[in-house]
Amino acid sequence: MLAVKRLTLPTVGILLGLLMLFPIYTMAIGSLRSETHVFDFRLLPSEWEWSNFTTAWTQSHLPRAIVNSLFVSTVVTVVAMIFHAMSGYALARLRFPGRSLVFAWMLSTLMVPFSIIMLPLYLITKDLGLANSYLGLIVPSIFNAYGIFLFRQFYRDFPRELEEAAYIEGLSLAGTFFKIAFPLSVPIIVPLTIGFFLANWNSYLWPLIITQNEKLRVVQQELAHLVGGGYFTPWNIVLAAAVIAAMPTFILFFIAQRYLVEGIKMTGIK
Amino acid sequence: MNKLLKSAGVGAAAMLLGLTAACGSGPNKSDQSASAASSGSAGSAAQASAPANGGKKIKLKFYDFHTEAEEKFFKSLVDEYNRTQDRVEIEYSTFNQGDYTTTKLPTAFASGEGPDIYMISPGDFMKFAKSGLMADLSPYFPEGAKEDFLPASLDAVTVDNKIMALPFELELLGLYYNEDMLKEANVAVPKTWDELYAAAKTLTKGKVAGLVLPPDKGPYFNFIWYPFLWQQGGSVLSEDGTKSAFNSPETAKALDFWGRFFREGLSPKKLQAGPWEIDHLGKKEAAMQIVGTWAINRAEEVFKDVPINVAPLPIPEGGQAATDAGGWKFAVNGKSANVEEAAKFVMWAFAGDPQRALKWCTEVKFAYSPRQSVVEAGKDIYSKGMRKVFTDEIYNSAIPEPRYPSEVLDVVGDAMQQVMYGKYDGAKAAAAADPLINDALQKASK
Amino acid sequence: MTSRKTGSRARSEWLTAYGLLLPNMIGLLVFVFLPIAYAFYVSLFDWNALTPKSFAGWANYRELFGDAQWWQSVRRTLLFSVVYVPLLFMLSLLSALLLHAIRGRASGIVRTMFLMPFAITSIISAIIGMFMLDPRFGIVNALLERLGGGAQPFLASTSQALFSIIGVILWINIGYNMIIFLSAMKEIPADYYEAAAIDGARGFRAFWHITLPLLKETSTFILIVTTIGSFQSLDQILVMTQGGPMNSTEVSVLYIFKQAFELLNMGYASALSFVLFLIIFVLSLFQLRLLSSKK
Repeated sequence: MLAVKRLTLPTVGILLGLLMLFPIYTMAIGSLRSETHVFDFRLLPSEWEWSNFTTAWTQSHLPRAIVNSLFVSTVVTVVAMIFHAMSGYALARLRFPGRSLVFAWMLSTLMVPFSIIMLPLYLITKDLGLANSYLGLIVPSIFNAYGIFLFRQFYRDFPRELEEAAYIEGLSLAGTFFKIAFPLSVPIIVPLTIGFFLANWNSYLWPLIITQNEKLRVVQQELAHLVGGGYFTPWNIVLAAAVIAAMPTFILFFIAQRYLVEGIKMTGIK
Repeated sequence: MNKLLKSAGVGAAAMLLGLTAACGSGPNKSDQSASAASSGSAGSAAQASAPANGGKKIKLKFYDFHTEAEEKFFKSLVDEYNRTQDRVEIEYSTFNQGDYTTTKLPTAFASGEGPDIYMISPGDFMKFAKSGLMADLSPYFPEGAKEDFLPASLDAVTVDNKIMALPFELELLGLYYNEDMLKEANVAVPKTWDELYAAAKTLTKGKVAGLVLPPDKGPYFNFIWYPFLWQQGGSVLSEDGTKSAFNSPETAKALDFWGRFFREGLSPKKLQAGPWEIDHLGKKEAAMQIVGTWAINRAEEVFKDVPINVAPLPIPEGGQAATDAGGWKFAVNGKSANVEEAAKFVMWAFAGDPQRALKWCTEVKFAYSPRQSVVEAGKDIYSKGMRKVFTDEIYNSAIPEPRYPSEVLDVVGDAMQQVMYGKYDGAKAAAAADPLINDALQKASK
Repeated sequence: MTSRKTGSRARSEWLTAYGLLLPNMIGLLVFVFLPIAYAFYVSLFDWNALTPKSFAGWANYRELFGDAQWWQSVRRTLLFSVVYVPLLFMLSLLSALLLHAIRGRASGIVRTMFLMPFAITSIISAIIGMFMLDPRFGIVNALLERLGGGAQPFLASTSQALFSIIGVILWINIGYNMIIFLSAMKEIPADYYEAAAIDGARGFRAFWHITLPLLKETSTFILIVTTIGSFQSLDQILVMTQGGPMNSTEVSVLYIFKQAFELLNMGYASALSFVLFLIIFVLSLFQLRLLSSKK
């Protein structure tokens, strides 16, 4: 009786888990079917069409879009990590007039959803001459309060001895941050990097608005283009393209799930 | 956590205060700079494309939307032009239709990145013409070329006696059908509305749709519906285009007829491919489909094993044959610094040597040329297979697609959907849309 | 002497601080605050982005009040939030409870399974949703028919489309919020439950009297973040329905998007943006008050 009870919950959990995975499975398996069988009601394809992937790769702008997304996401993430760590450190460790006001002011930006400001943001970015360029994709995406907030939390628990040692060594305050604190921030940088990278890899609406040049198209745009662009792309090819586009996130997910979970936890607590 | 939220709240309040202060002091100064920026941006596309004309080639940007085969044609056209003269160099970029019509072209102009040469749809025509984004092309027509065009096709692009764009194709609509499916079901090719409805009802079986019509709102949605209105003599706007003529029994009837196919499940509300693709018939997922001349080449090349044929659009009792003649137009950016060179290219491409125009209308896609000399030169092609049906039975009933502003298109599309989804019947939808169309006209003419 | 030294140190400290803060302060100012002010400024003009602006005063706001389609989109947005937020909250809380109760190796596996949809981007989730929910060929209808139910129109229905989209968005977001709940639950000391068990509180009562009150801060966080997020679910809608059928999925941000980028009514769309911002702002403050006063 007890054994049955001990098995019930895991079984329920796994069954529900399978339900959560089912759509992903549907996509994966659909990407391996032929065009006529793509909607088949069967768990496994009758024939495995690996060529769907080569078709999706060669007949779309996916390769270029992936390079663009990798480039934009990487630059945004790297710059954001440095800027956000700088602000987080200042807010956590330095005493200066207006500290709590600046902090509250920065946090309040969390309450402004992007889609509300997309239009004026577009107009401003355009007036800055950044429309239709990599800079236009990158610069406005760098700034948000999440990273600043989490870095601040991290630096609040930072050992004071290290700073004092740095002061005795003759390092300036900025030097203390760049030479001592920042290099020791790996535990927060890793999960945040993953989070930022994923968020920017996901980005669709902003690139859609700010770029007109086909050469600047990012992954999510290319996918949306394949499925709704007006010309007919067979479902099996669309799904294959989706699988290709999902690969980087899945790889990141599997090698860094632990950090991902850490990162999510940090956003929730405190 | 609570603390965090509280301080965020304080910050938010502070932000609102700061905001009002910023707005209070802002307008005057930013007014000037912003308008300077906007007027500057309009011209900057042109400036950027004419780098200090010191013996260097003028660069012209050319945007369009097209499929792969069509893209190839335009690429080779641009290459040929770039090779044969050394004054200008054309840079060609192409987009998909969905993005091009909605966001890409308008935002490109708004960002000051607008092209010198571009394709324009009837829905955007008036807005662009009024914003000075279309140059008058009249002076650039080669000798005798104007007379070669069908008068109606030039009328459709003329505003205040200025020819604002160059028409280069006329795409007509027809009823395509799968001969075998009709034969098997013992259904004759429908000629009237009642027959079309009955045929769709008989032919709808399981996963095979009786009649494919576009289900989603957009310019194409309206484009396919207009003939049903025109066949009875109805119209969206009054003759002079200043008032709504939508609240009429003809509109109600056309809306009801359209909506019935969807409400009764004879036309799918969700399609696997764009409604303009012949693939629905090609894959045997549908028995009939209303689609245009452009579908012929694909039907013949990709789906040659499927017995696809075409007939004129069915008409109502006592009605008159009518079909839509759509097609995009070539425009030259009126704010370009090189209007003349841009116009020369456009004329070279589609108002000069008939062979180039003929290649477009027959080899790349199938469409009618608005030029009599081109149709004459391609006589043989225009009488081949399904093309003969268009030439002999449909061509004469063509009415050019109206250039209603997109605000009006939107209201008409809403009315169509209200009937499709059973919210209103045709009469009520027409009555409800009527004042909205007048509002939209007023808004669009601002 | 010493005071001067500390004085200069203090000055160098705040100089350094503002130096470190500067990039973000400028960035947030230009790309978050300025847009809100700019939206208000542009909203006073009539402007199609192609020709110079012309001053229109409050005309855009007057028009907005009478714009039935706009208010309908606001109502739709609220409906979206009212359905989406509680569902997401409950489903992720229940998943976290389930996961919390599972011991041993299975726990890690189940967690991975629940979290995996989080690695699916919004556009891919939309693609999968369209594929599975296709009225004629989709696997969900094939399943329903096999189970004896009728095929449903889903995205092709004015009453089901919004809920279908909500389902897709829920699917990719449950895992994330579940992890937040779960980590909060793990921080509750076990002896709280032991003490409660002595008093006879187990199972649901223990959950109600111990777990839930201690999750209050986490819950507040999730509720606020999800509510704000629910106002901007535009990606899936743009791909799956573009606001149709019959505008039944045209939420406020989509209406703004269309006014701005399809009809090029920049002034009007800015007025709409500004009003929506005020609505969200008031709602957030209200939510904050409500949740922090209940302590």
